[in-house]
Amino acid sequence: MWKGNTKNRGGNSENNQSNRPEWLQQYDVIGKIGEGAYGLVFLANTKSNPSKFVAIKKFKPSSYGDGVSPTAIREIMLLRETAHENVVKLVNVHVDHVDMSLYLSFDYADHDLYGIVKHHRDNVKRAINKYTVKSLLWQLLDGLNYLHSNWIVHRDIKPANVLVMGEGEEQGVVKIADFGLARIFRAPLKPLSLNGVVVTIWYRAPELLLGAKHYTSAVDIWAVGCIFAELLTLTPLFPGQDLQGRPTPFQINQLDKIFRVLGHPTREKWPRLVDLPHWQSNQQYIQERKYESPGLYNVVHVSPKSPAYDLLSKMLQYDPQKRITAAQALEHEYFRMEPLPGRNALVPPQPGEEVVNYPTRHVNTTTKFEGKTSLKTSQPAASGIAVSGCIAGPHVMPTHSVPQPAHLAAMQWKQPQGMTSHNLSSQAGMGAAPNPSSIPKQLGPRGVAPHAHQQQQLRIKDPGMGMDRYPPEQRS
Amino acid sequence: MAANFWNSTHHKQLLDPEEADVVHPIDKERGFTLEDFKLIKMHMANYIARLAQNVKVRQRVVATAVTYMRRVYTRKSMTEYDPRLVAPSCLYLASKAEESTVQARLLVFYIKKLCNNFFLTWYLNSDEKYRYEIKEILEMEMKILEALNYHLVVFHPYRALSQLLQDAGMSDSTQLAWGLVNDTYKTDLILIHPPHLIALACIYVASVLKDKENTAWFEELRVDMNVVKNIAMEILDFYDSHKAITDDRVNAAMHKLGLKA
Repeated sequence: MWKGNTKNRGGNSENNQSNRPEWLQQYDVIGKIGEGAYGLVFLANTKSNPSKFVAIKKFKPSSYGDGVSPTAIREIMLLRETAHENVVKLVNVHVDHVDMSLYLSFDYADHDLYGIVKHHRDNVKRAINKYTVKSLLWQLLDGLNYLHSNWIVHRDIKPANVLVMGEGEEQGVVKIADFGLARIFRAPLKPLSLNGVVVTIWYRAPELLLGAKHYTSAVDIWAVGCIFAELLTLTPLFPGQDLQGRPTPFQINQLDKIFRVLGHPTREKWPRLVDLPHWQSNQQYIQERKYESPGLYNVVHVSPKSPAYDLLSKMLQYDPQKRITAAQALEHEYFRMEPLPGRNALVPPQPGEEVVNYPTRHVNTTTKFEGKTSLKTSQPAASGIAVSGCIAGPHVMPTHSVPQPAHLAAMQWKQPQGMTSHNLSSQAGMGAAPNPSSIPKQLGPRGVAPHAHQQQQLRIKDPGMGMDRYPPEQRS
Repeated sequence: MAANFWNSTHHKQLLDPEEADVVHPIDKERGFTLEDFKLIKMHMANYIARLAQNVKVRQRVVATAVTYMRRVYTRKSMTEYDPRLVAPSCLYLASKAEESTVQARLLVFYIKKLCNNFFLTWYLNSDEKYRYEIKEILEMEMKILEALNYHLVVFHPYRALSQLLQDAGMSDSTQLAWGLVNDTYKTDLILIHPPHLIALACIYVASVLKDKENTAWFEELRVDMNVVKNIAMEILDFYDSHKAITDDRVNAAMHKLGLKA
């Protein structure tokens, strides 16, 4: 339930925080768990119910004198209309008229797929069990199906934006987060062109990489396919190198990674391929490179005859029109065979199955909630969706390792079963993603809102997890 | 939700006509009548449309902005929320929500430019008084967000209108019907009725004006024609009463707002 304005609920506590805005006094702020181009994310618990944790996303006011950022507006707008178990729940919105900031509070999720995959790769050193993989995937698709059937394209599906609830009533439930780049694609006023504002490159669909201007909910499904493979192998499927440049660079390296695994796209597989701008204009680079496909199944180590492989390959169809939809995927045989997917993805229902304890997020208790944020606005490189305890800085290496800033007094606020933690990830997502739109017909000339330039800069900063980066905007 | 009007927050907060016709106690004390309230909202809807022409945003942004403004005044008084600032701030917020962001400084420029047309006529020597600075717009944007309880998705009759006109074989009446829909924003209809019924009512009025017989087409629709006809009557009533609205009456109502706080 929406709790509405909390003005009359705060203010009952008297302590050293009494100079804080009234609404904030209902919370005890524990520390910072994330940071991105949009602002900061803090972990807090409610005083009235200390076991109830929320992630508070603070949007910094626009430095361009343009008020609440359009990204924040869109996120609020969409989240106020959505209600689904697998979509992150906006618990409250607060405005601070003094510092002109906007705060969104969400149900807090301990985990996300980025952290879960990383923990398995670096610590557990064993694959994620089949039940967990299937349950995570099913819930992710269920949430997406809800969004897509309501004409919302997320546009920034990546592991860090797929949250998983920790201990509690909703343990193991997936929550899709970060709607800053999501769009209602039923009636776009502006053509949803790229303008450099796009999904984290590793999860970016080939039609976007090839310059499609009118794209569809199928871009989210491609990202899910990439995540599915990553859950199976613990390694990103297409870890391309993000190329910098302006205007929107042609991401040849990322495409190359895809072609090496899936083979070269052909006109037969994808009839409208020839209409895509980069396919036409970069003939010598992409049309001439011919790879013998090593077979996706060799990369993900599953039998080409298995339902898992069948589903994965349908999500990774080159032609967005042939790509499986979320609704179709939910009906796939893979989900009808044992182990069946469950609500608590982290704890298999069968007794005797080993349960992995995932580390919770890093909490940086040194960042002040109020006042000027320490955002490094001068550095428009990777920051990440709430890379917890991590800094916004240019992490160039295309690997999953994120440098841990040693100077940050990071602490583990909650450490189940003595696990060490390395979790970096995002809560309440802050990401940057691109455009949706599944409207098949021409939407109009490519156009940029007067503000696109600024928005673009902001969004570009969040390629996520420091694994890749977007080019800094070069003003000429 | 975004695609389905029936699940949307827009649908959930549709009002009864009496709920839209509120004059807040604090405004009453200052002498505002319901009539003044309606006139001011109409005048401000015109103002938003004119500002929008200047900053070049589409009709849908105007419609969303006017809806925001009308929603604000079902909850807030004009004394506390000065319409002369609320109107442009609603346009500013709507431009973001509808992905056509307008720069605040551009808006402020046109507020100054249009000030004479919209406010000076009833209060000479006040040209400095009704200009607003960027900061005031930004502060009001946040207050509006709060007043709207962060419900920003608004549905409009336009989409349904085009489809229905085509279906009714009345595409030749598009301009007329579109103009009728635009004029419905001079009233609180968008707060009260589902947008597709407003669209149908406008088609109904258009077919009467064009003397086009399409009773059969209306009968095939699975909608309550009584509601459609009632909306159509409200639209016609509006046009009737609109003839009697003079600049003087608008100015008299606006005058009660007094000087900028």
